[in-house]
Amino acid sequence: METAVDMQVTLQVSTDWLFQLIWILAFIFIWVYGQKIQTILTLKEIEGSLSRLKNMRDRGRQTVISTIKEIGKPAEDPTPRVDRLLEHVDIEPVSLDPTGIIRRLEHIIDVRDFRLKEEVRQMAPQADETQINNLTNVLEAALALNHVYKVVRHYYLMGKKTLSFYVILQIQMLLPLIMRESEAFANALKAFTLGQPIGDGAGALVAARLMHGNEKRLIAQDTIVSETQIEGRKAYVIKAKGPGGNVGKPGEAIKQILEEEEGKVALIIMIDAAQKLEGEKAGEVAEGVGVAIGGPGVDKYKVEEIATKYKVPLSAILIKESIEDVVSTMRKEIVDGAEEAIDRIKRIIRESTKEGDIVIIAGVGNTIGIAQ
Amino acid sequence: MGEREPRRTPIFFMSVIIFMLIMSLAALLLAIEAYLVQGKLEIINIILSASALFLATYMFIQIRRRSISLGFETLKVSTIIQCLKCDYRNVREFEKGDYILRDAGSCPKCGGTLIIHSIFRESKEKD
Repeated sequence: METAVDMQVTLQVSTDWLFQLIWILAFIFIWVYGQKIQTILTLKEIEGSLSRLKNMRDRGRQTVISTIKEIGKPAEDPTPRVDRLLEHVDIEPVSLDPTGIIRRLEHIIDVRDFRLKEEVRQMAPQADETQINNLTNVLEAALALNHVYKVVRHYYLMGKKTLSFYVILQIQMLLPLIMRESEAFANALKAFTLGQPIGDGAGALVAARLMHGNEKRLIAQDTIVSETQIEGRKAYVIKAKGPGGNVGKPGEAIKQILEEEEGKVALIIMIDAAQKLEGEKAGEVAEGVGVAIGGPGVDKYKVEEIATKYKVPLSAILIKESIEDVVSTMRKEIVDGAEEAIDRIKRIIRESTKEGDIVIIAGVGNTIGIAQ
Repeated sequence: MGEREPRRTPIFFMSVIIFMLIMSLAALLLAIEAYLVQGKLEIINIILSASALFLATYMFIQIRRRSISLGFETLKVSTIIQCLKCDYRNVREFEKGDYILRDAGSCPKCGGTLIIHSIFRESKEKD
């Protein structure tokens, strides 16, 4: 009886040893290959996101093709042309000699816009001007999704090839932000297709409210101005021409008005959407000084130049929103923010100018879904 | 645009998870056996079993594919129609062709001009 118990104990001791040996081997394996395992796990995570990005890109491409077919009634299939346009690249001007770089950049942007609109016009012969502008916006959103997908795929494949933890880490760290932005663009496709106002149009909405019911004239490419009276001052209100998807040329428009009035302008107020910080509420309104225009900087430069030349004070009103809100259908909070911005404009005019003065008010942003 | 779809079945990781689960079960059985035969509590084996189980669960959560949200959710978009003369106001669902400041007929209350005052979406996200 005792021998049987002894044998059982001996068997358990040897099983224990074998078992502990397996654990030690497993521990050594994890110690040696731990980073490789982590790298493969990270690659898997990127692979999942890449798959989502690919779906977004494909849906974007499909949206462009179906919208062109539906609105433009083309004689031939637009698919090969859309595929070619999705690979479109813009080459920035050389910056080694910065003299005149803004002028050169503006030229490249103008050529790009013209080319894209012409391509859309040829693909959608039945579309009117508003629809052409909206279709161009849809195409640009699909182009952005395609570009993001290709950049992420590049880093993923590079990481997979080299199995370098640091190559993979770079894309993994940025992935949450990239996904947020891509989802915003995916939502933008719907807004652009239906011609709904987007968050970026907050400034344009403010200008539209101020100029509604007054005479308007074209002052620069795709940009209109209206003369109105606000708090006893003569106000020039500027916005991009809607309701098609346009940003216009607010910089050029402000320059033209200042030249027309020979610099006798008491104040320039610019209203634009601005990216909020986490924790801030969408639709919050902030005031400041300076030129409130985003983008590549051409319009910002023009306003800064001309305002400095005539020593005109610059006021900025910003309507806060997240990166997702900028290209998605406008939120209720942003509409409310635009109403508050109008009250702020009136207050700034009362406080900073005298009756009879001239002021310029520019509502900056994409005016899709907003007329005047 | 004919690139390969990323591989979806993580065979290697599933094997590691299964190995971890077997090790966890074996450590647990050893601990139980030691307790029943010798009457002693083998803390080491219990810890090993628990940590192997934890590691397997962690790896499973890591490789599990998240539900695919493509950012193509249907959003509820509303159009507000307002009279320029009186306080008449009507909220309806967005219709194709709507845009802000578009004429929307005449007011049923005072006969004044109706315009689309605003178009917006109801947002679910928190700031």
